Amino acid sequence: MKRLLVRAESCAGCRFCEMVCSFSHEGRFSPSLSRITVIKEDRFGFDYPIFCRLCESCPPADSCPSRALGRSPEGTLMLDEEACSGCGTCLKACPHTALKIGEASKPIFCDLCGGRPRCVERCPTGALSYEEVEEFDEKPIEALKRLMERWGIHA
Amino acid sequence: MPRFYGYAGRILRIDLTRERTKVQELEGDLARGFLGGRGLNSKRLYEEVSRHVDPLSPENKLMFSTGPLVGTMFPTASRFNVSAKSPLTGILGDSNAGGHFAAELKFAGYDQVIIEGRSRRPVYIFIDDDEVELRDGSHLSGKDVYEADEAIRREIGDRRIQIAVVGPAAENGVRYAGIYANLMRPAARTGMGTVMASKGVKALAVRGTGSVEVADPGRFEKLVEEVEDEIYSHEQYWPRRRMGTTRILMMANAMGFLPTRHYRSGVFEHAWEVSGERLADEYNVKTRGCFACTIPCSRFYVVRGGRFSGLYGEGPEYEAQGAFTARVGNGDLDLALKAIDMCNRLGLDALTTSECISWAMELYERGFLTREEADGLELSWGNGEAILTLIEKISRREGFGDVLADGSRAAAERLGRGMELTMQVKGLDLIMADPRGLKGFGLGFAVASRGGDHLRSEPFIELSDDPRRGEEMFGIPEATMRLAYRGKGRLVSYFEDWCAVIDSLEVCKNIMENMEILPFERAAEVLEAATGMRMSPEEVRRCGERIVNLERAFNVREGITRRDDCLPRRFREEPLTGGASKGSIFEQEPMLEEYYRERGWNSETGIPERGTLERLGLKHVADELGLPRENPGSEREPKAFKGAGRGRIVCATS
Ligand code: SF4
Ligand code: SF4
Ligand code: SF4
Repeated sequence: MKRLLVRAESCAGCRFCEMVCSFSHEGRFSPSLSRITVIKEDRFGFDYPIFCRLCESCPPADSCPSRALGRSPEGTLMLDEEACSGCGTCLKACPHTALKIGEASKPIFCDLCGGRPRCVERCPTGALSYEEVEEFDEKPIEALKRLMERWGIHA
Repeated sequence: MPRFYGYAGRILRIDLTRERTKVQELEGDLARGFLGGRGLNSKRLYEEVSRHVDPLSPENKLMFSTGPLVGTMFPTASRFNVSAKSPLTGILGDSNAGGHFAAELKFAGYDQVIIEGRSRRPVYIFIDDDEVELRDGSHLSGKDVYEADEAIRREIGDRRIQIAVVGPAAENGVRYAGIYANLMRPAARTGMGTVMASKGVKALAVRGTGSVEVADPGRFEKLVEEVEDEIYSHEQYWPRRRMGTTRILMMANAMGFLPTRHYRSGVFEHAWEVSGERLADEYNVKTRGCFACTIPCSRFYVVRGGRFSGLYGEGPEYEAQGAFTARVGNGDLDLALKAIDMCNRLGLDALTTSECISWAMELYERGFLTREEADGLELSWGNGEAILTLIEKISRREGFGDVLADGSRAAAERLGRGMELTMQVKGLDLIMADPRGLKGFGLGFAVASRGGDHLRSEPFIELSDDPRRGEEMFGIPEATMRLAYRGKGRLVSYFEDWCAVIDSLEVCKNIMENMEILPFERAAEVLEAATGMRMSPEEVRRCGERIVNLERAFNVREGITRRDDCLPRRFREEPLTGGASKGSIFEQEPMLEEYYRERGWNSETGIPERGTLERLGLKHVADELGLPRENPGSEREPKAFKGAGRGRIVCATS
């Protein structure tokens, strides 16, 4: 399946992706409305974008009491707006904290911009890619540890 | 009231004395006349902080401003200005920083935050969108920048908040302490951290969840794409991406203007060892960026051997890198990184700190300062132990560190010697470029509204040394030739106006002005697409001119005149002895004459003429300064400044 991927060693934490994403989905600029969210640890120079990874099994979809979250053939989540009660169960269920509550009190998440992810196109460092991979389950904390080791940082 | 696009449209006032906050609407005429950021701060500072205010009293006001493009995807629109009357210089104080703080403040819904009065207890301010809270800060007292930042993150329980914090140097009353955002992104100059600490405020923590809308999204996006393309295809793109501003060090050395051993020479024999190239190849592990920056130019480094092995952090920028290498005669890059890291954690301005130390080193070498006076420290060039010890002592105002903690000018006054050797203008210590090898920059240092600093004009184009650019932009080929004098008044006034616009839109000068990505024409277009305010390029430039003039008026009200627009004697009298600028001195008078003429300021007093101020819509300023009504160029002396700047022109530093 084609997925979004990040190479943590390349991400500069500029958050241009957040702005590109919120603008292309909502027509305005807000990290709160971006489907991609960069977490940062300035102490260690660490930056890591979080987004929906199109996991094989998706606890948010499974746990939704209203069965409002389905999957598209491409693997992205799809929300049945009518069915969603805005309860927020899905938010807590995602192991990658990939979901957010949007302005309509409904979850928002990466939809791969319909197959042409804008964040990948516009990321200035090439840290993001959109490619065929089995899965992408690296946790940010694992990436942080890996990089600290590689860079020789001992906190 | 028409709605504001681009802007948040709101101003937050925090009265610490009465523990009250107030939200006001952004005044439309201020947006139009002063754009935002630095302009907005300078305007309000002029109106609200009068001549008699002591910088460290509750009457001083500390202002943080974002700009109309901040919090959008406009590349590099990430910056904020923080302004107050400066405790270091006594005149306009102001500093600008990048990172992610400004955007957060904007998403919280504010164009400007004004902090007034003084808190009776130590606090930090938490701005959580509409909610503003003065939180107990007693447990943060004495904590360094990193510790305080971490403690606040944990307390609030949100790692995504943005924090601007002061270190122990500010709390101890060092007059050149900065305000640190994202740990390593300081608004370092002119002692804004000192002002913040004097108000009892350790930090501003911000969480903003709102959004920014632009007036014409389609056009805005097109302009952003154009700017992105231009950045990526610019010849400076890769060097900046790889080395950031540290790429300048080798260039400065090659051109012979790298201030070495307290400006005794413009060439440093260890330049390569401390260069940006070496940093990039041997230390840097990663690129980092400010909010929405598409270069990005910041770097994360790790020291992988030697006695500082394991040291890591973001940066450094050229100014700090040069300040703790060539300026103090130190060829050990690791030691410089350590010194800079200490300044960051303690919350000191690296430039002024280094000037104080290198000034003391020169006095020591000349026998004007004894070892006993310097607490037994051997102040020889490049002595790493002495440098690190002094940084620590300055931050605690301890022993000789206390003498240096008010800046070089005050230290010379206190010791009663070495004033002519202080490398400062109007009390602000100079940057890492020798004006003998860069005349336009030098003129910029002389007239800058916050004292001896390049960021008010930064005519970067001088580094090209290309007469064609001078001809094309100013009709004077020499204007862009670094060792020539002609045309520099025009060059500097143009670039000052430009920088004022850039600082007020709060975009990055490295990209938008040095790389010339955002000339007035495009700035006007972007401003209209973002805010809906329609202005011609000339009107945009006039905003810059207005800001420069108002800042000058602020300083004139504090007693500044032409005699203060003066570089240290060394530059005017001692020629550079080696390198590519060999034989050069800095003749300021002809350049100043041309500059005042270009500006429409009285060439004898350096005070703006009434006609100039009125043309810029600043009649009330002309009235307040008591400028003569008729015959604007007359010999009559303005009433507020009797005795200043008449007759023979004497320099303030000599
Ligand atoms: S745009 Fe690219 S480099 Fe910048 S934060 Fe996003 S992923 Fe990282
Ligand atoms: S990232 Fe979260 S929401 Fe997306 S597929 Fe995986 S579990 Fe589901
Ligand atoms: S692919 Fe599109 S929706 Fe997904 S994070 Fe990137 S910009 Fe946002």
